[in-house]
Amino acid sequence: MGNNELSAMAHLMRRAGFGATREELESRVAIGYEATVEELLHPEDGEAVDIYEFLRHHHSQWKPGTAGGLGQSSWVWRMINTKTPLQEKMTLFWHQIFATGVSKVDHYDEIIDMVDMFREKGLGKFRALLLEVARSPAMIFWLDNNENHAHAVNENWGRELLELFTLGVGNYTETDVREASRAFTGWTIEPKLPRFHMGRWDWYFEYRADDHDDGEKTFLGRTGDFNGEDIIDIILEEPATAQFIARHLYSFFVSDEVQVPAWSVTPPADPEAVDTLAKVMIESDYDMRLTMNVLLNSDFFKAAQFTKIKNPTEVVVGTLRLVGDAELPSPNSFEWSNQIMYMGQDLLNPPSVEGWHYGPEWVNSGLLMTRTNFVADMLSETDRPGVRTIIDRVGGAASSPEQLVDSCLDLLGPFEVSASTKDELVAHASTLTWSDGDKSGAEENVAGMLQLIVSTREYMFA
Amino acid sequence: MLTRIVEDRVYDYGHVVGGRIFMGVYTIALGHGSNVFAIVRGPYSAKVVKLTIGEIPDDEEIIVEFGERGEGSGQFTWPAGIAVDSQENVFVTDEWLHRVSVFTADGEFLRTFGSAGNGEGQFNRPSGITIDSNDDIYISDSLNHRIQKVSNDGRFINQWGSHGADAGEFNSPWGITADGQGHVYVADHKNHRIQKFNADGEFVFELGSHGKGDNQFDHPSSVAVDSDGEIYVCDWANNRVQTFDKDRNYLTTFEGNAQELSKWQRQYVNANPDVYKARRRVYTLEPEQRFALPMAVAFDNEKSRLMVVDAQRWRIQIYNKLRNYADPQFNI
Repeated sequence: MGNNELSAMAHLMRRAGFGATREELESRVAIGYEATVEELLHPEDGEAVDIYEFLRHHHSQWKPGTAGGLGQSSWVWRMINTKTPLQEKMTLFWHQIFATGVSKVDHYDEIIDMVDMFREKGLGKFRALLLEVARSPAMIFWLDNNENHAHAVNENWGRELLELFTLGVGNYTETDVREASRAFTGWTIEPKLPRFHMGRWDWYFEYRADDHDDGEKTFLGRTGDFNGEDIIDIILEEPATAQFIARHLYSFFVSDEVQVPAWSVTPPADPEAVDTLAKVMIESDYDMRLTMNVLLNSDFFKAAQFTKIKNPTEVVVGTLRLVGDAELPSPNSFEWSNQIMYMGQDLLNPPSVEGWHYGPEWVNSGLLMTRTNFVADMLSETDRPGVRTIIDRVGGAASSPEQLVDSCLDLLGPFEVSASTKDELVAHASTLTWSDGDKSGAEENVAGMLQLIVSTREYMFA
Repeated sequence: MLTRIVEDRVYDYGHVVGGRIFMGVYTIALGHGSNVFAIVRGPYSAKVVKLTIGEIPDDEEIIVEFGERGEGSGQFTWPAGIAVDSQENVFVTDEWLHRVSVFTADGEFLRTFGSAGNGEGQFNRPSGITIDSNDDIYISDSLNHRIQKVSNDGRFINQWGSHGADAGEFNSPWGITADGQGHVYVADHKNHRIQKFNADGEFVFELGSHGKGDNQFDHPSSVAVDSDGEIYVCDWANNRVQTFDKDRNYLTTFEGNAQELSKWQRQYVNANPDVYKARRRVYTLEPEQRFALPMAVAFDNEKSRLMVVDAQRWRIQIYNKLRNYADPQFNI
């Protein structure tokens, strides 16, 4: 089994999932890269997470209150346990774009319903997903479409639909915003039961014909008595939409782009790659499974190892999947979503409708310490099965500082670190005591080296 | 339909008990008379609430609360099951601390037994617990996928079951009940069925399969049996309770009928004008009536009533099994 194959598979699983243990990588290399991509693209054939396992122990998380850190815990638990990681990664991707938060919605379960929809439709046709977003009570409330009336238009949803969800700045006019908003009048929420006397309730989409503006509209050059669904169809006819979603895919799965507000003035880092993805979308009627198939098998994807800074969810979930023993619900289940929040990504509660800024903005001196402390703590727990497996595999085989460093880098990744980082790791390893046959000493050396490696700059890249 | 007649049996919706004071209610055990002991558990809290529940609406009262979140004596982390013996001592399983804590009916801590492991008298996430007419205790040892029978003072007597889906095997057993006739019924949670055993653990029958139809369950959490041998299954993820005769024939399904607020709910709504107004502006209050992930059932033979822990709605819905029902005149 070549190290290049392992590295390519590790890259695929970091990007199309949340990483994989060495044992999983080896078994996946045995079936091949393309076959693995095919499996990842078909979550319907995989084993679903039993969310009732979580709710049995955390029954307060069924329709949770809005205390920070709690409402996300069931989703984080899913990510830790998923056997269909690309499905969950796509869910995170769509949540980053259609960023909807409890800071305003104040009802985790409605946003979780949207996340569940992303899980179900995230690899399907984009039109179906976009229509569900437009009908999502959480989104309607988040962007005030319940305040968008036939005779008093509110442009919040209409504007963000064009600016942040589909076309991008520069591809529409203020008139288009107005006309799109008019078309979505009457798309609202049924009157809601209050939450306080016996818990929370589902919200329901309602179309009120008597509150819809039936007048003629002119949108992106087309004229007619458009309703919301017509607007979505017109948007999808615009090449700019495919370009916009393709650039999001590139930024999330391949390599960090500049932040979204700069897209109208800064060309894509790899225009050919974005064009390739956009072309697939247009030709396939926005089939996300086909698009992701092209992306994950592309040369530009395969060449992008360690070029993206991990987002906090990838750091926490990836580390927990590596070290193990986080599969069962526990009183600490909330801690995992809290850790993601401490690192700057409060899932289900993005800082704005623009979502989170990514790339270098995930890291500052404080947040880097939070990341480092978490991953080093996890790797220090040598009774966790994932750590134990690595220690056992390195075991007594490491008989020199160089071998210890190489073995740990290999089994944790395989990871490539800079020459200076490696020199420092070897320098540290050289200070360790190497007594023949001292198993406990060897274990301590390996555990210490693992902590050092996950504390390096390189571990923060996917 | 508040009153339903099924195969000569009459089930009549009674009333509802609960409110914000019951937020996090998890399961219950019946004590002496009108006493009910309820586990109430939240993300960072845990306790037992002793209350009385009378036979008419609004006749409920909190008597005492005991226990708190923690790992010390008399504390809980994840209390999961509760049972009461003939002396009205209260036994509470803790699926995180792998032990059983024992209290008097007034909440005075007596002792614990059990520890983590898979040996005799050890547990891996013990959950459901029931006590038979001899005061012997049966515990669903969930992640050891077995039932353990212990004496009232916690000494190991017997065990049965292992991980699997065949007769007598379990996948994460949860609720458990003894019927007073020498039988034990287990909610075989992740096998989506009920299994019946004799007191020595010999398999008698199984009931149900995975699904949403009659005779099917989705993650059943609890089971109760009345003095007629009739079976009530808390069909947790299907949001309902199904009932069966002693020969496993399907009878009916309860989905919740709380068409009026409980005393404590009413007090809250009336004291909060926005809540009061919002309830009056919805198209229907029907969702308020229905169960939401009901977690436990208990049958009170003395009063011939079924209590359903409607956990997500912080309440207990009560159905009476009427014994001397006379049809009304329908020309009224």
